[in-house]
Amino acid sequence: MTGPAGVAGDLRTGRLADDQVLVRARQVTKRFGGLIAVNSVDFDIPRGSIVSLIGPNGAGKTTFFNMITGAYTPTAGEIVFDGHPLVTQSGKKIRSKKPFEVTALGIGRTFQNIRLFGTMSALDNVRVGLHVHLKSHWWDAVLRSPSMRAEEQQSIVRGMELLDLVGLTDRADVWARNLPYGDQRRLEIARALATNPKLLLLDEPTAGMNSSETAEMTSFIRSLRSSLGLTVLLIEHDMRVVMGISERVTVLDYGEVIAEGTPEEVRASPRVVEAYLGRGAADT
Amino acid sequence: MTTQTKPVERGFGGWVGFLVDSLVAIPGAYAHAFRRRPVRTVVLTVLVIFGLIYPVLNKEFFQPYNRLSNAFPLPFPEDAVVTFMMIFAIMAIGLNIVAGFAGLLDLGYVAFYAFGAYTAAFLASPHFGSVSIVLFSETIPGFPGIHLPFWMLVPIAMAVAAAFGALLGAPTLRLRGDYLAIVTLGFGEIVPVIFKNLASVTFDLGPIHLVNANLTGGNLGINPIDPPIFFGIRFGSSSGIAAVYLGMILLAGAIIIARNLERSRMGRAWMAIREDEIAAEMMGVNPVRTKLLAFALGASFAGVAGVFQASYQGLTTSDFFTFATSILVLIMIILGGIGNIWGVIVGAITLVFVDKTFLPYLGQRMAAINSDLPNPSQFNFLIFGVLLVIMMRFRPEGFIPSRQRAAELRHAPPGQAIGSAATMGDAAVAAENLADTIAASQEEEVLAEAAAVEEETAAADGTSETPPRGPEGQP
Repeated sequence: MTGPAGVAGDLRTGRLADDQVLVRARQVTKRFGGLIAVNSVDFDIPRGSIVSLIGPNGAGKTTFFNMITGAYTPTAGEIVFDGHPLVTQSGKKIRSKKPFEVTALGIGRTFQNIRLFGTMSALDNVRVGLHVHLKSHWWDAVLRSPSMRAEEQQSIVRGMELLDLVGLTDRADVWARNLPYGDQRRLEIARALATNPKLLLLDEPTAGMNSSETAEMTSFIRSLRSSLGLTVLLIEHDMRVVMGISERVTVLDYGEVIAEGTPEEVRASPRVVEAYLGRGAADT
Repeated sequence: MTTQTKPVERGFGGWVGFLVDSLVAIPGAYAHAFRRRPVRTVVLTVLVIFGLIYPVLNKEFFQPYNRLSNAFPLPFPEDAVVTFMMIFAIMAIGLNIVAGFAGLLDLGYVAFYAFGAYTAAFLASPHFGSVSIVLFSETIPGFPGIHLPFWMLVPIAMAVAAAFGALLGAPTLRLRGDYLAIVTLGFGEIVPVIFKNLASVTFDLGPIHLVNANLTGGNLGINPIDPPIFFGIRFGSSSGIAAVYLGMILLAGAIIIARNLERSRMGRAWMAIREDEIAAEMMGVNPVRTKLLAFALGASFAGVAGVFQASYQGLTTSDFFTFATSILVLIMIILGGIGNIWGVIVGAITLVFVDKTFLPYLGQRMAAINSDLPNPSQFNFLIFGVLLVIMMRFRPEGFIPSRQRAAELRHAPPGQAIGSAATMGDAAVAAENLADTIAASQEEEVLAEAAAVEEETAAADGTSETPPRGPEGQP
């Protein structure tokens, strides 16, 4: 698997120049009471790449993910996205950008267990994703000003384009909750794309899918990257999914990075085998 | 491919063109509704026209009939009752924005009604007799007190109520569900008590010296408050049908504003917050701003209702603003169909009718039979409670439900809940089947609701979208 133009060679954390890195996380730690969910993790996401974060259940993947999106504030460490620090420290107080601010900077995400707006139409779900890029105020809405109506029209056109991209054009009026499971996954991606992200975070996008649906989804993700110039971070605990699609895989276990490299390298790593299958399996 | 709407014209031409287009589109929209659901459209048309000419019919025919026919009078609501229908309908629309669109349960909504009423009481009465400020008013210059005209009071009251709405919203932003309800309940209790107790204020700070100042009139309240006057015509409680029509105009304005908010970026953000606050925030919706705006804009409707009530009746006292009123408005929107503007209006009209016309009428009829029978008006909340229980059992989504609410209450768990289960093998198939079933049954309701709304929408706010979600739908 070759990377896109501009990203080649060693994609491992710490090996790339600043301008080749979209997200740079350093010494990121998150404690919940006595539990250290993520422990001093360094993590780079190269621009234009598809990288994966994998690990057994409870390894801290989603916690790390939530720190990038602003849902959690790290206990320590720094995260820089596209030149914008997402975590700032003043004195002892660590503050993280709020999720909606992070979204506005250009990070879109999907959820492990789908979280669509169930009783809104597919199109309106996508239009909520466009929210950050719409400018009209409530008084424009009250008066239905020309600029507000123009913007609403554009949001419909753009929303339909995105639904077209994920193949849901003819489902635009259907409520999100009434869509079949696979379509809901696609709609979540369309909604995330509506925020116009530079980085797309996908939390187990193939959870609950059979092998043919999984294959379809992975090729779709790859086509998104090439057509939209996105950078993609995947979270998976199923190693088979990420092997075919990722240019770099990072393995987390008990909150720490235990391996990083190409899928082949990671698969061969004894520590990874141990984390997934237990010590006995690694010894044989 | 996606829309057939023409591009929006900017600037002044855009405003004029929109108005013209909207007006031109009304006959087409009506014809469309008529073709699709003829019976429904005709019934709704008749109802709306009847509502519009009711005050005249009532004056010319119904009340004379009741006066002449001692044998069998009928419960025709009087002008004052119809006016209160309008006042409560405006409040129901406002509470529907907070509770229906944004999903924030507000049990203290009456507080904003009080702010509106006291705005009128302070700014259009002889209460502050030591000063004389008369602005654009029919009141004789030099007359004691502050006298502002009604058209100025309305925006001022909206602003005051909205400001206090935001003030209530701010500390409750982190609260959800029960906790939010309790805080709003407290707010709704505190505000009337403050108005009641500010009858004798001694205050000394900086340039302000007050000794036993009577700010709010206490239990007695403030009166007389100037009635609304336009072009020399008074719209007070003694003006009969004129006041009813002023109420209808205010209600029409409330409907248009609420509809416009619903179909906007902010309306979608409210619904997204209601559906899943975390997901909404992750998609770029600022939850603080969105919720505060819901509280503030929702409150401003109660401000208008309050101004109109005080100006119409010519007095206001803290006794008007009890917890029972908050609950009454809440029952209105639940009975009518929370989330649906037309539903909550129907709920408000129905409940005011039952409370102020039907129960007193029933009491009179019963007393005529036997003077020992209890007066049903005394049991109005008992009756509303029973009504609510019956509705929850047989039609929990209300008289005219919103699409969302109907689906939540009528159908099996959402496909999403099934889909999120770890065992997705069979569940995916099950969810798909379920989704098909739901979609089929929903289509019926969606069409029904759309048709119901369509005709009135076209009449009320003259939308240029011919079918109700036309340009958003399929080509």
